[in-house]
Amino acid sequence: MEIKAKLKDGVTTVKAMAKHPMLTYDTAKKQGVEANFITHIDATVNGKSVLDMSTSQFLSKNPIIKFSFKGAVAGDKITMTWVDLLGGTETSDAIIK
Amino acid sequence: MERRKFLGFGIFAAAAAFVPGTLSAEDYRKTKPAVWTAHTMEDAIAKMYGTNVTIEQGVTLTAPDVAANGGAVPVDFSSEIAAKSVAVFQSSNPEAAVCAFTLNENSVIDYSIKIKLKQSGTIIVVVEGKDGKLYSAKKSLNVALGGCEG
Repeated sequence: MEIKAKLKDGVTTVKAMAKHPMLTYDTAKKQGVEANFITHIDATVNGKSVLDMSTSQFLSKNPIIKFSFKGAVAGDKITMTWVDLLGGTETSDAIIK
Repeated sequence: MERRKFLGFGIFAAAAAFVPGTLSAEDYRKTKPAVWTAHTMEDAIAKMYGTNVTIEQGVTLTAPDVAANGGAVPVDFSSEIAAKSVAVFQSSNPEAAVCAFTLNENSVIDYSIKIKLKQSGTIIVVVEGKDGKLYSAKKSLNVALGGCEG
């Protein structure tokens, strides 16, 4: 996962991209493979949740998400994790600038 | 007897105090599975919030009028409403739900996502206010090339 986190006026804005094919049930059926897509993405800073997102098959391939939150300071570490339908998972982190 | 009752109450109070903590990280796919299989926006919103009556104000939704590529349609939404959750639905795909966010006191409702749309349709963003009301914004758009193929 690629993560960029920037702090401005007390609000941290994060842009993140997850590498995932996001195969819908329709596409998977045509290709004769099992559908698989990210079902949940979360992000934490200092052990506190800053993003809690349940997702469906209709996010784009390699989905990009931009979100914002308050309460962090520059230098804090943001940790993001996604989980997919087949149990795959990836965790990445970045430092807030 | 009185003392026993008091202690019993104490245990209940402690349990109640822990509940909000567990709810703050809600996986809607597990807690509300029916939302994700609903075929229409109205049905999905009703499955999510118990009603599909929304007030169309207080939410800003930006998406292109014409999406050249339905595989990655940029959808931006923001709101100043003090809210518990935000959910995105559309009418273009076989199922309506796209994603749902659980918010906490640090959250700022200012999201950008990219979604797949199979055909022209409507996107709706629903914000569940702390006052218990549902606020929404809608946007209809045309899709030139459907995006469920890949």
